[in-house]
Amino acid sequence: MTKELEHSFVSQLEENQNIVHKICRLYTNDQDAHNDLFQEITIQLWKAYPKFRGDSKFSTWMYRVALNTAITLYRKSKRSVHTQDFEGVSFKIKAEVYDDTAERQLKLMYSAVKDLNDIDKALVFLYLEDKNYREISETLGITEVNARVKMNRIKEKLRKILNP
Amino acid sequence: MDELELLKKEWQSREQELPKLTYNDIYKMLLKKSSSIVKWIFYISIAELVFWTALSFFIPESSRRVNDGMGLHDITIVANILNYIIFAVFIYLFWQNSRKIKVTDSVRALMRNILNTRKTVKYFVFYNIGVSALSLLVVNIYFYFERERLYELLQDSEGFATIPMEKFSTVFFLVQFLVGLVLIGLLLLFYRLVYGILMRRLKRNYKELAKMEL
Repeated sequence: MTKELEHSFVSQLEENQNIVHKICRLYTNDQDAHNDLFQEITIQLWKAYPKFRGDSKFSTWMYRVALNTAITLYRKSKRSVHTQDFEGVSFKIKAEVYDDTAERQLKLMYSAVKDLNDIDKALVFLYLEDKNYREISETLGITEVNARVKMNRIKEKLRKILNP
Repeated sequence: MDELELLKKEWQSREQELPKLTYNDIYKMLLKKSSSIVKWIFYISIAELVFWTALSFFIPESSRRVNDGMGLHDITIVANILNYIIFAVFIYLFWQNSRKIKVTDSVRALMRNILNTRKTVKYFVFYNIGVSALSLLVVNIYFYFERERLYELLQDSEGFATIPMEKFSTVFFLVQFLVGLVLIGLLLLFYRLVYGILMRRLKRNYKELAKMEL
């Protein structure tokens, strides 16, 4: 029984691992921390798996549990304290696609997103994942209106950072 | 907001650059739960040490007086120090185990660590139960040979004052025996519950790892 459960869990996680990697990338600053968080999320997902009844898609459920882990369980302890510099950001922009200003703006934007607090970051993450507000609100357990309001505030915050 | 839209496009076009873990990589992570089990063993052993130490502050004065009156004062201190040293060694070993298991990557090394941890825990439990049983036994044998002195000492305490000397030995050692039995039983139960559960999980993980190695 557990064997089958394990198998179906691992295969589904393998299939959807990108989601977790992206969360790790956003919430950590180096490879070690990335791996740590990935493992922590895997364990939390596995613990919660028996309660996953399939009334939502596996990926939707995964977003929820993984973000929860990133926000609550994975507090400051292991995360290095803002040591990233702009060049070191793992999000390197392909130079040939964008001109200098666009590239700089993008880097700035990314680093501004990374500097958001954990909960705002979760919202932006889902936004970047092209989730609509209904999906965002379901994943984060807030109302749709609340999600909209929050997102607008975050956009405002980011705008201020980019254009002081 | 244009920049955010730009980032969104960029974000989505970067999917293929993400790391790609295999089925086995992820499966191994599940088994790495072992590391959290081993960490718990370490924490529990510390909690246990704190608990026993705290408990020793609650030994009633009368019991201490009997102990001292029977000339056991010095030997108790020596035994306690010895016990603490051995306890500290075990805690150190548990810490070592939890540290080692955290940094292992290969399945084989993980298996070896699990085996090591199980062995350490086994010795730890044997030691604790063994020492408790042995000290109870030795103290009572000593009491038996010195029972007249013990009787005099206990005259002060209310419970035993009314019992005549002839009956005293029987009653006293029967009580000691029963209480000792209950104590050891509780200790066994405690170890069985706390470490038993963790040990079973470790064993299961070990078996899964063994299957992967084949």
